[in-house]
Amino acid sequence: MERRNLLTAGTAAGLLAAAMATPAAAQGTAGSTAGGLSTLDRIQRNKKVAITAEVDSPPFGILDSDGKPDGSEIATARQLAKDLGVELEFVQVNATQRIPALLAGRVDIAISSLSITTERAKVAAFCAPHGALSIVVCGPKSSAIANAADMAGKRIALTRATLEEATVPKVAPPDTKLVYFDDIGPTIQALLSGQVDGAGMSAFAAKSVADRNPTAGIEVKFTVTTAYYSAMVRQADESLRHWIDTWVFVNSHNGVLAGIYEKYTGVKLPPLPAI
Amino acid sequence: MDYVFQFGAVWDHRWDLLDGAWLTLRLSGGAFVIGLWLAGMLAYARETAPSAVRIAIGAYTELMRNTPLLVQLFVLYFSLPSLGIRLDADAVALIGLTLNFAAYGGEILRGGMLSIPPGQIEAARALGLSRWHTFRHVVLLPALRVAYPALASQFVLMMLGSSVVSAISATDLTAITNTLQSTTFRSFEFYFTTTGIYLLMALLTRAILALGYQYLFPAARRNAPA
Repeated sequence: MERRNLLTAGTAAGLLAAAMATPAAAQGTAGSTAGGLSTLDRIQRNKKVAITAEVDSPPFGILDSDGKPDGSEIATARQLAKDLGVELEFVQVNATQRIPALLAGRVDIAISSLSITTERAKVAAFCAPHGALSIVVCGPKSSAIANAADMAGKRIALTRATLEEATVPKVAPPDTKLVYFDDIGPTIQALLSGQVDGAGMSAFAAKSVADRNPTAGIEVKFTVTTAYYSAMVRQADESLRHWIDTWVFVNSHNGVLAGIYEKYTGVKLPPLPAI
Repeated sequence: MDYVFQFGAVWDHRWDLLDGAWLTLRLSGGAFVIGLWLAGMLAYARETAPSAVRIAIGAYTELMRNTPLLVQLFVLYFSLPSLGIRLDADAVALIGLTLNFAAYGGEILRGGMLSIPPGQIEAARALGLSRWHTFRHVVLLPALRVAYPALASQFVLMMLGSSVVSAISATDLTAITNTLQSTTFRSFEFYFTTTGIYLLMALLTRAILALGYQYLFPAARRNAPA
């Protein structure tokens, strides 16, 4: 069965939107470097930085009970603005507007769990990764699964239209019995009731299932794939990108990024490779 | 409408869809045959068994006819493992559909049985037929003839309703369609095609069941009012 990667489709949609926004982007970019002033210079002179706020993507970005943006990417943006020593202006975007908003000059930086892909890198520049989203296969202690090959002959639950549906079948041996549910709810229920030997889901979801059902003994068996995400800036903003890379370097070593990640996702931050 | 229909993806997956349709037919056909047999037993027991059994059958019938099939399937699928029974989703779907159909079929058969004049039953008993033989030849078969059209309708309803088994990960036509549309992003094309397959299956089934009636009850044709 041919499976088209969901990420690819998301990227395609983003690219399409980016392509439509290109004329505006050109102006925005030109405007941002007008008078020989780089974006980084302008941010420091105006004491203001505009960053994306995607608030419908837990645990990265949500609205708290007061209706204010919250989440790991929101906290990251706040920390970054604080370290820049400037005022932060959030510009609310949805998933497909993240890159177009950057290219159009509505924001200076996009911090919105943007997974690093070569397609996206053609239109805007990735900084060093500051977070990761892992897809894992989890299961009860009694399930003898240590790696992808061990899924042979076992029943593994997946939820349709998710990153796990796009990635787990690719690593599963041919005689794995993959069973599909329409929502994460029945997938988790199948796992807890023992109808399946394991289930594919995000590391965040696996952690919350394990924590909420301590008697079920659910544990992560292996990591299927890890998508790293980073801040994005316009291609021309070299000095800003370099400053953000330095910021990520410093905050990786002092534990600030790990603290933010763990607070919101409940999962330890995986080691972050350099870009 | 600006949408450009592309049925290429559907054609590429035609065998997957037909696999799903075949499972839908097998599930509903199996549930019909086993469920009808169960329904006959239930109807017989409800007329002859001790009152405790009759009450239990009545409760079962009301429970199955007054709760959603989807919920029944969830209860079966997620609770069987705690009894140490782990069947695959297709098997649980067959059990769920059968138990559900038995309750409806039992009521339809009972309706047919009530149409048998008591004098006919008394006559059979007076002629020395055993209780079971009276039930089988004097009550059940004529009742089946009366109930047949309603049973046929119920069967088609069950076949269409069986699409909910995809919720417990059975791989019927609806489940296959859901998986294909989520991986190819051709939702309209797949759902249109699947609608057509269900329609075709329902019409064919109705036609076959109508022929079956003519074959099983030739007397009905002779006695049918002109």
